[in-house]
Amino acid sequence: MAEATSTQRLQLVEDWAADVAVFRGVPWGKAMMWIFLLSDTFIFSCFLTSYMTVRMTSAEAWPNPSEVFALEAFGVPVPLLLIAIMTFILISSSGTMAMAVNMGYRRKRVGAALLMVVTALFGASFVGMQAFEWYKLIVEEGVRPWGNPMGAAQFGSCFFMITGFHGLHVSAGVVYLLIVAYRVWRGRYEEKGYDIVEITGLYWHFVDLVWVFIFAFFYLW
Amino acid sequence: MAVEAQVPYQEAIDVHHPHSWLARYWFSQDHKVIAIQYGITAIGVGLVALVLSGMMRLQLGFPDSFDFIDPEAYYQFITMHGMIMVIYLLTALLLGGFGNYLVPLMCGARDMVFPFVNMISYHVYFVSVLILLASYFVPGGPTGAGWTLYPPQAILTGTPGVDWGILTMLVSLAVFIVAFTMGGLNYVTTILQARTRGMSLMRMPLSIWGIFMATVLGLLAFPALFVSAVMMILDKTIGTSFFMPAISSLGEQLDYSGGSPLLFQHLFWFFGHPEVYIVALPAFGIVSDLISTHARKNIFGYRMMVWAIVAIGVLSFIVWAHHMYVSGMHPYFGFFFATTTLIIAVPTAIKVYNWTLTLLRANIHMTVPMLFSIAFVITFVVGGLTGLFLGNVIVDVPLSDTYFVVAHFHMVMGVSPILVIFGAIYHWYPKMTGKMLDDRIGQLHFWITFLGTYAIYYPMHYLGFVGVPRRYFANGEMAIIDESVILLNQGITIAALIVGVAQILFIWNLIYSYYRGRDSGPNPWKATTLEWQTPETPPRHGNWESRLPTVYRWAYDYSVPGAKDDFIPQSEPSAGEREGAPLA
Amino acid sequence: MAETGQQHPISIYFWIWGLLFVFSAASYMVDYAGFQGYLRWSLIIIFMMLKAGFIVAIFMHMRWERVALITAIMLPPGALLVLVCLMAWESDYTWETRIVYLGAEIAPEPLPPPSHH
Ligand code: HEM
Ligand SMILES: [Cu+2]
Repeated sequence: MAEATSTQRLQLVEDWAADVAVFRGVPWGKAMMWIFLLSDTFIFSCFLTSYMTVRMTSAEAWPNPSEVFALEAFGVPVPLLLIAIMTFILISSSGTMAMAVNMGYRRKRVGAALLMVVTALFGASFVGMQAFEWYKLIVEEGVRPWGNPMGAAQFGSCFFMITGFHGLHVSAGVVYLLIVAYRVWRGRYEEKGYDIVEITGLYWHFVDLVWVFIFAFFYLW
Repeated sequence: MAVEAQVPYQEAIDVHHPHSWLARYWFSQDHKVIAIQYGITAIGVGLVALVLSGMMRLQLGFPDSFDFIDPEAYYQFITMHGMIMVIYLLTALLLGGFGNYLVPLMCGARDMVFPFVNMISYHVYFVSVLILLASYFVPGGPTGAGWTLYPPQAILTGTPGVDWGILTMLVSLAVFIVAFTMGGLNYVTTILQARTRGMSLMRMPLSIWGIFMATVLGLLAFPALFVSAVMMILDKTIGTSFFMPAISSLGEQLDYSGGSPLLFQHLFWFFGHPEVYIVALPAFGIVSDLISTHARKNIFGYRMMVWAIVAIGVLSFIVWAHHMYVSGMHPYFGFFFATTTLIIAVPTAIKVYNWTLTLLRANIHMTVPMLFSIAFVITFVVGGLTGLFLGNVIVDVPLSDTYFVVAHFHMVMGVSPILVIFGAIYHWYPKMTGKMLDDRIGQLHFWITFLGTYAIYYPMHYLGFVGVPRRYFANGEMAIIDESVILLNQGITIAALIVGVAQILFIWNLIYSYYRGRDSGPNPWKATTLEWQTPETPPRHGNWESRLPTVYRWAYDYSVPGAKDDFIPQSEPSAGEREGAPLA
Repeated sequence: MAETGQQHPISIYFWIWGLLFVFSAASYMVDYAGFQGYLRWSLIIIFMMLKAGFIVAIFMHMRWERVALITAIMLPPGALLVLVCLMAWESDYTWETRIVYLGAEIAPEPLPPPSHH
């Protein structure tokens, strides 16, 4: 173990000192996607930090998300039911995406394309449920971006802004997935190789990753 | 290895050999064309900002003499001037312009890694400039909130441009950030992944190091501005209260409640301070190369210079609230941020020492780029020293929001980078066009600009000490305002107008030399870096012939004892040297 | 290795998929069981970090990347940590001033959502 870390440290220095490429063997597109995701991390973190700040400074009551997002099932309100389902759907989509990457590298292009389409379908259903959630919140609970009957106005503002921005990312991801899936299916990457599936996958997993934080900080706080 | 495999070289040349004017100059994916597009647009919009500053100076020097400048117009001038200078001129010119031009050439690449994205980046930047300029044509005109756009005042009645101007400003910023991200991802990926054989990071010219670190800062800091722009747009349009506390305006209670104006300030400066270094680091890098080349001497302490750039980049993320000492933030923060601010002065000072030590007993050629470089070092020292004053809470409190601050930031992030930009244009124009800029016009332009800026900004320190407040339309009959202030303000205005008009010399030089300039040949300055070793000048699309250059040495082999010339290009192997042998 | 793309046995993805389900369910149960205070917070954050860690390490293949890439991506968010901590501190202070100087009430109870009356 100690040996492993010291060789890793050496590898770190060697890679940064190398000519041509710092990230050895990493295609340009993948390096660029990683750096983009880093930048996007800063965007979402700033949104979440702002949410934390307005929530912690609020002298008004913060509505209890566990009650607000409850759903009636068999006559009893189950807290966060829809959110739980959405979470599971997004995780599953990440699972199918990971398989698609694997299929791609094994040059099973039809399988890869199919799994990407399945991923996109999961994503689309996630957006659909989110639309339902928004509808319920606006129509039934009377939550608006500028106020709500339960407490601090920032509850609605943060909710719509953060889930909206995340939802846009998911929607863009669905389109991106479908385009790449189509091209994979047509055999466009037979020569160039299937890095593109992994790159698309990075974006998709990132969207899932952001949801992990939204789930913990917005719904469970 | 990867280089050859990943560049479809012949393909790249074949696919877009230009047919029409549009394809050649507008839809070009050549990083050099995109660089010039960025450059021309940035300088164009920068001239607008220059004219605006002239109008402000007219008002300050000769109050009550100009009917068309009312307080509203003055605040609009101030805001547009500040924002354009910082973002649309300096950031765009240094990274979109010089970054685009130099990164592939100096790294020995054929182009950016994703030329198409690079092209779109410029188009989106162009749109953001159009939206910004549209501010002057919407009802109510541009916003007058100051370049910091602080809420609540930015979106309350009474601030000029509250109906439309603030929205065009915020949207334009968001669009600019999209453009920057597309370009920036390209620069970073190119530098990390597409350098030519032998060009290890520790052999890169400092220009590229500065541009690299600045771009990284941009990619990590602009998100905060983006997020605050989005939230302020929401506050303004649909009435959310992210930044807006319960507040009454014109005797009427507004619907806002519970938002945090301090949150905006924190987000803004979490972006804003790194932004200072986004402008400064490329200038640091470029000036190091100019000094070394025109003093025919290797840069002093190359490794220290690199690590200083990295350290400044890292530290710049933890100093932001030194802009907020008087904001009413947590009282303990002052201590934390003053400490970090003084720490960041250390690597900055190291850089200044190294420039000076490079010049020490060097064979200094007083070319125009060298003049501008020396002027930069002097100006940066002045601006940096006043920064130490302002970095300390107790000293800052009385100086905050006075002309001392105006003097400080113009010296350190206004004049200094502009001087480097001028020097850099004189230096690289021959590579871009194959012509030399006219030397005599250049000298004249330099002396007027350099002495002029001192005439403008030096007295402002004094104005600050006697208490003249920043962002005031007129000082009127304020008891604290000394007689001398009035006279000085007139002098400053005259100097500012002369400096402003003198820029015509520069523009004229650019145009005149393009047609009538002396032919420069491929390497007029006898410089070592790769861009001077291209087979053609200006380099064609694809930069190199069928083989990429190989790098054998660092960028600073000037006046090497025993060498046949006083410089050795990076791509030249020394006798008996093995390929890729490590730098001694 | 990396040169030939990220190739790993499918089974590991199923494992992680399952684990993510378990952790999500667990953090959901924290809310369902009504845990409060430090217990709630530590559990939620632990499960969150575990989920995030597995997604990045396995699904995004970070575990198999070279250290150069790992450090380049994982270190910069440290700046965010500073931002978050300072903003939390700042928020506490703002909140206190609101209580002290603006006469706001300490932690009033939220009203229930209208549809549950
Ligand atoms: C000849 C050149 C310039 C002149 C005469 C000039 C003049 C001025 C004046 C008169 C003000 C308003 C000060 C006040 O009333 O408080 C101002 C503000 C400002 N200037 Fe310049 N300036 C010049 C160049 C630059 C450059 C190159 C930059 C780039 C960083 C710059 C950045 C700013 C900023 C950020 C502000 C603050 C705006 C605000 O308070 O919102 N200026 N300038
Ligand atoms: Cu600062």
